[in-house]
Amino acid sequence: MINGQANLLLSQTLAVSHRMLLEQWRQGRGLIFWAAFPIFMMLLFGLVYSHNESMRAGLDAAAAGILIGAALFFSCLGGSVAIIAAERERGTLRRLLVSPLKPLAYFFGVVLAQLQLAALQMVMLYSVAWMIGARYHGSWWLGGFILILSVFSYVGMGFFLGIRFANKSEQVVVGLSAIGVPLLVLGGTFFPLEIMPQAMQMVAQLDPMLHMNQAFKGVAAYGLGVESLRFELIFLVLFCLFSVFLGVHSYQRLLDKESLE
Amino acid sequence: MTNALEIEGLYKRFGSHQVLEDFSLEIKKGTIVGLIGPNGSGKSTLLNIVCQLLKADAGQIHLLGIPLHQMDSQARKMIGFCSQNCALYNDLLPHENLDFFARLYGMGPSNRRTRIHELMDDFGLWSHAKTRVGRLSGGWRQRLHIAISMINHPEILILDEPTAAVDASARVELWQLVENLRASGTTILLTTHQLPEAQRLCDRIALMQNGHVVLQGSLPELLASMGEHALVKVESSAINALIHRVEKLGWKPLNTSDEMCFLVPKLYKLIDVVASLEGVDITSVSIKQITLEEVYFSFIR
Repeated sequence: MINGQANLLLSQTLAVSHRMLLEQWRQGRGLIFWAAFPIFMMLLFGLVYSHNESMRAGLDAAAAGILIGAALFFSCLGGSVAIIAAERERGTLRRLLVSPLKPLAYFFGVVLAQLQLAALQMVMLYSVAWMIGARYHGSWWLGGFILILSVFSYVGMGFFLGIRFANKSEQVVVGLSAIGVPLLVLGGTFFPLEIMPQAMQMVAQLDPMLHMNQAFKGVAAYGLGVESLRFELIFLVLFCLFSVFLGVHSYQRLLDKESLE
Repeated sequence: MTNALEIEGLYKRFGSHQVLEDFSLEIKKGTIVGLIGPNGSGKSTLLNIVCQLLKADAGQIHLLGIPLHQMDSQARKMIGFCSQNCALYNDLLPHENLDFFARLYGMGPSNRRTRIHELMDDFGLWSHAKTRVGRLSGGWRQRLHIAISMINHPEILILDEPTAAVDASARVELWQLVENLRASGTTILLTTHQLPEAQRLCDRIALMQNGHVVLQGSLPELLASMGEHALVKVESSAINALIHRVEKLGWKPLNTSDEMCFLVPKLYKLIDVVASLEGVDITSVSIKQITLEEVYFSFIR
């Protein structure tokens, strides 16, 4: 019985993930922009840093920040918000509701698809970054672990925001700009935390993106290990669990609401 | 014959509006039952309750003799639901849509392949196998939509106005598909506003109004409910005089579309009708066979 349920959960998770990747692949223009965005960002940062050899460490940190703070943010968080909005708009959400699809399988399916996309973005971004002189210094395993935590967190937040604020596709961009971009800036994606006023630095501690950025930059740009990043990692694990709960709970609430309409 | 679905004393209220009131219906295995009624009569609410999208306030539903509330998600594997709007993934091909839903039901790779092949055959989808669903016409999308509802060999297929959003030729083809499904032994509960098709296809028909069944039975039973009457169609330029005469004769008028139709005693022949209307300016008179449409307009106000 338990084995049967686990098999069904796995089958459904793989189905959702496969479908999303296939849809992403078929959306030709969207796929080009998805790939081009982090590469252009990396090239721009490369140009900014290229005139000064002493700023090499800054370029390494920029690569990590672009991956976590920009690429994965728009891909995983923005992508999840867009997925929820699209399911609502085309009526497939109700279709899923009358199928035996489990909310947890749907969530894990989206996460699995986003993890594969994140891995691809990491390879693309670091290939470009390597060509313009940036280097990855730390443990690949630890970096991968932080990426996984970040993807889970982004998807959880994406589900929550998408369900609460994006009934239609047009609202996705507006919502992301209004809520997401301030979080990006506060999270130290574009500017180091140190240049912000003291009060802002304190508020930034509440921004999960800051901890994602600091953890990944710590590994990728400065070669730090688990011991040095203990606080960030604990914060990220807890936030990841909270996000998964928030995402699945929001999705369950959405299904309940949808079934009453 | 065992019942695929039994609905007993179902109640549902939205705010102050009683949508379903003591609704009961039985559907035998392998039959097609049509739910017919005006918009707002509670048809879609009923289907949503059967599909567990809504909870009833009171009443019982049994699927193959088992109470629905005891089945939980198991019931979802036994019911195929095709809503009015085609909910499909537009960037995928038809067989990819089928494959996705097959996986949700936990079907293994070889079962999936076989079933998708069967459905692509049965629903004639091979001709559009390489076309993304978003580029298919309404009729082909609806075909695929019904095929998806059949992916898991459901015990009962629920079709909510399957031909509502398609053109006339696609409608004919879709009804043919429903007929094929009946021939293959599928139990079907459908709602439609297409009375001639319902008359032709359904083994039993339930007329719904204000949340309950006002009349149900097989077509002969429904027609028999009209009593010993024949239907007379009259064309006249003197409508008021005609109505006045008909009232005097005690013939029951029927508001079927824009024709003037009346129920007359079955014994009447055409010559008797003409004689009864003597003195009224009449263009033509004909005696028609009573159909589901007349039954509908006679019982649904």
